[in-house]
Amino acid sequence: MSGWYTIAKWEFFRSKLKFDTRSTFLLAFSLALVIAASFAAVQTQMSMNQKIYTAASSEPTLRPILESDQRFSYMPLTIYEATQFYMYGADLVIIGNNVYLGDSAKSAAAGSALENTIKEYREAVLTSYDDINNSHPVWVTVHDIERPQNFQLLSSRNATGAMEAVQDTGNKDRGEDYPRGEITQEYLNRGSSFMLPEDISELDDYRGRAFFQKQTLSTPSFFSPPIPFTAILYAFLFIFPIYFVSQFYSTSIMDERTNKKGELVLAAPLLSRDVVIGKTLPYIIVTLLIQAVITVYITGFPADMRTAQSSLLILITIFPVVLLFFALSFFGAILSRSFKELTFTSVFLSVVISGYLFFPAMFANIHAISSISPITLIVRLIEGETVLMNTYLFSTLPFYFVALSAFAFGTYIYREEDLFTQKAVPEKITDCLEMFLSSSYGSVFLLSIIFIPFVYMTQLMLIVMLFNLPAPHSVVIMIILSAMAEELVKSAGIYTILKRKLQPANLKSALRLAALSGTGFFVGEKAVAFLTLAPIASSAFGAVMTMGTLLLVPLALHISTASVSSLVMYRFGTRRYLLSVILATLVHSIYNLFILRGVLLG
Amino acid sequence: MAERTRPYGKIRSIARKETRELMREKTFILSVLIQLFIASFSTFLVIGLTSFYDPTIMGDIEMQGISIAVVGTGDNELYRLLRESKLNTRLYSDLTPAYGDFYEHKVDAIVIAPPGPPEGEEILNVDIYLPKSEIKATLISLQMKEPLEEFEQHVRDIRTQRLPGYSPIEVNINKRGIKTSSTYFEFIYVALLPLLVFTPAFISGGLVIDFITEEFERKTMELLLATPASMMDIVSGKVLVAVAIVPLQAFAWMMLMGANMIVIRNFFSILMVVTLIGAILVLISSMISISFRDRGVSQLLYSMILIFLFMASYLFTNSPLNLVTRLSIGSIGTAESTLWMGIYTLVALALGILTAATVKRKYDNN
Repeated sequence: MSGWYTIAKWEFFRSKLKFDTRSTFLLAFSLALVIAASFAAVQTQMSMNQKIYTAASSEPTLRPILESDQRFSYMPLTIYEATQFYMYGADLVIIGNNVYLGDSAKSAAAGSALENTIKEYREAVLTSYDDINNSHPVWVTVHDIERPQNFQLLSSRNATGAMEAVQDTGNKDRGEDYPRGEITQEYLNRGSSFMLPEDISELDDYRGRAFFQKQTLSTPSFFSPPIPFTAILYAFLFIFPIYFVSQFYSTSIMDERTNKKGELVLAAPLLSRDVVIGKTLPYIIVTLLIQAVITVYITGFPADMRTAQSSLLILITIFPVVLLFFALSFFGAILSRSFKELTFTSVFLSVVISGYLFFPAMFANIHAISSISPITLIVRLIEGETVLMNTYLFSTLPFYFVALSAFAFGTYIYREEDLFTQKAVPEKITDCLEMFLSSSYGSVFLLSIIFIPFVYMTQLMLIVMLFNLPAPHSVVIMIILSAMAEELVKSAGIYTILKRKLQPANLKSALRLAALSGTGFFVGEKAVAFLTLAPIASSAFGAVMTMGTLLLVPLALHISTASVSSLVMYRFGTRRYLLSVILATLVHSIYNLFILRGVLLG
Repeated sequence: MAERTRPYGKIRSIARKETRELMREKTFILSVLIQLFIASFSTFLVIGLTSFYDPTIMGDIEMQGISIAVVGTGDNELYRLLRESKLNTRLYSDLTPAYGDFYEHKVDAIVIAPPGPPEGEEILNVDIYLPKSEIKATLISLQMKEPLEEFEQHVRDIRTQRLPGYSPIEVNINKRGIKTSSTYFEFIYVALLPLLVFTPAFISGGLVIDFITEEFERKTMELLLATPASMMDIVSGKVLVAVAIVPLQAFAWMMLMGANMIVIRNFFSILMVVTLIGAILVLISSMISISFRDRGVSQLLYSMILIFLFMASYLFTNSPLNLVTRLSIGSIGTAESTLWMGIYTLVALALGILTAATVKRKYDNN
């Protein structure tokens, strides 16, 4: 048997032994407590906003309504006292049919809360009549229909910059499926069957369904626009177990390092690759099993080929996410010098990855940008839609690439001098790069290409974070930050070479390295743009990432900005690394701002 | 706390050592970074999510250039209500031309107004056709809600008279020109503020586990115990550092929120509550880590307890999260808030004594 298998077996049994009877019992007990508390919380319908508004009333007619909402605390006052309700600390006062508000934001919020409460109360009363024709006479049926579209994330005209998609009407001639002739409702409704409710009990069915499914049939009062809670819920169900398992995984990696426990493993005739694979595989397999259970829980046991296929597709989509979580925990565990640092690194990484996964997914039913997150694809699969191959690649390729390169770089420094010493983090990263650059295929050219997915994910992350800011600002910040990311990775290899004196430091080699690194980045960038960026290429953000279609100008740009940082490092030494990157970023940003001036000013 | 009676010197030197390490490893800075990160997402959430709930936040600019096709007759009540709203409407007598214009992006939604009279017997169904996977669909459905509800009300005014004994609730809310929705207000004070100020407390609970288990795993606990410091001193020092950094971070958060024009009342009482909860969490996790000594197991157990406490705080008024909310908007009297802070102090004290007992039981016998 190969070495990794032995390690995997060993790792699997060892981690099982960590749980003795006492801790297993306590864990089961606390899990039971969690379930009981959640159940109680759902049953009592309590929430966090108890008694935040004080409502004073001179007459008791509205009392039952106010008491049906836990946000209000009710205060009976006489009419005379009620006219001076501020003095009694009330946010609103009810005299007769009139509700008077104070002049604070809280009072205004209390007024808006009261409006909703009254509405809900009215619906509850009307529902109790069980006479749908007279109590709920109007129903709304929503149908989604397709039409040709061309997404543009931010139009130059839309200065407010919210997530509006502006359609391009320029593709009229493409209307090959335009149905000529008479259009009937039956034609538009094909495939969907909505039956109007027969009696009042069905109202609850439709409302109950609204949480898990897109609401399509409802009364106007219960009609709510598609707030994609579902996506968050699914994301949470899938991601939560990964947090826990990766926590154990990184602890196990760290364990090898504390007290030099792992030295024996390294001394054994095993490649560090085998050790890494062996230590990782059990955790990945366990996580995938958990994910499979969750998938079956959500979609039900696959009954036929089609459902089995979509369950499998869900697993295939979650796989790169699991991989990335583990890759980054692995890398984090190698870099951190103590458990404290590890906790922070893993929390930080979890927050970053979850942000990346959750926030685009919230717009799952709404916006094209949401397909950045694999969770969106999972939501679509669960809702029975199909996911195209290029969408899958678009959202998962960066995960695969970043995960694999993080594993690769981590494996490079899975050796004694990095595992068992208190080296500073930048030193260790430089070690990774040095190992790569001095290997037979290593060069700054290749290094720049390898870093592309990292830059790409950072930039996608920036889109997610910035696309809510007002448009000109968000694009400017995006330009500067993404230029910074690009300059950081282009100069990292040069920094390592100059610092570790891998090549003679002279003007010629400084320029040569800059040219190589810049060209490498250019080649990688174009490849990525070609492969995946098509869905968002026409947006202003996409333009920042690809900078149009001109070929020679960006090549020259990448080489010259890399030269800026390279020359600064050569002239003033590698200690001025940060300064060199800032200068290069400056040049890069000015160029980008110049190119995008039309978008910004027009 | 329970260690008051013991000499402070050793506790202080342990605390100093822990603080020094915390700063040296830049973990503290990292932790602040994490929180900044969460905060930056929060602003995203505030703007993004509340605009879903409440389209008025987005303003009317978004609705420019969006028009909807209404298929029906000119005297239709729904058409009249839609025309009065902010939406641009176009009237069509037939579905075919409406669909043609929809397909060519001249209109962005089709509404089929029900022809039936409001006095009738059957249910009136409004069919709405929205463009699939376009953000406009959401905006339109948000903007249509109000006219649709008015239409419902119009029909109900007539039909509910047939319901025996039904009298509509007539309430007239006099607004005073301040525009805020309860969703937005509650999001800031019920979700965002408590979450931000308690994050440092959650983190400190996890931190103390690392402080303690690390000494066991690195076998440095024996070395420490060989010094004049007792186990009690060691644990107290670590607990002290973990608790002390909680109010510092919470203070920074509240200052930041203040800079964002979010008014927070009872500033110092909130800091007090946060510190007490921090102490409770830190004491619980030090007990766990003394008992189990293993980092993975302790952290897992701690997160379970954290989730349990979080869930349980839904169950009663003046749970720590709700108490902070009520304090921050001034919805709680001094007597009530003092009482609850007293209760949390007692819980913290009890846990302190329990922790001391655990340390004694584990380390005085062997």
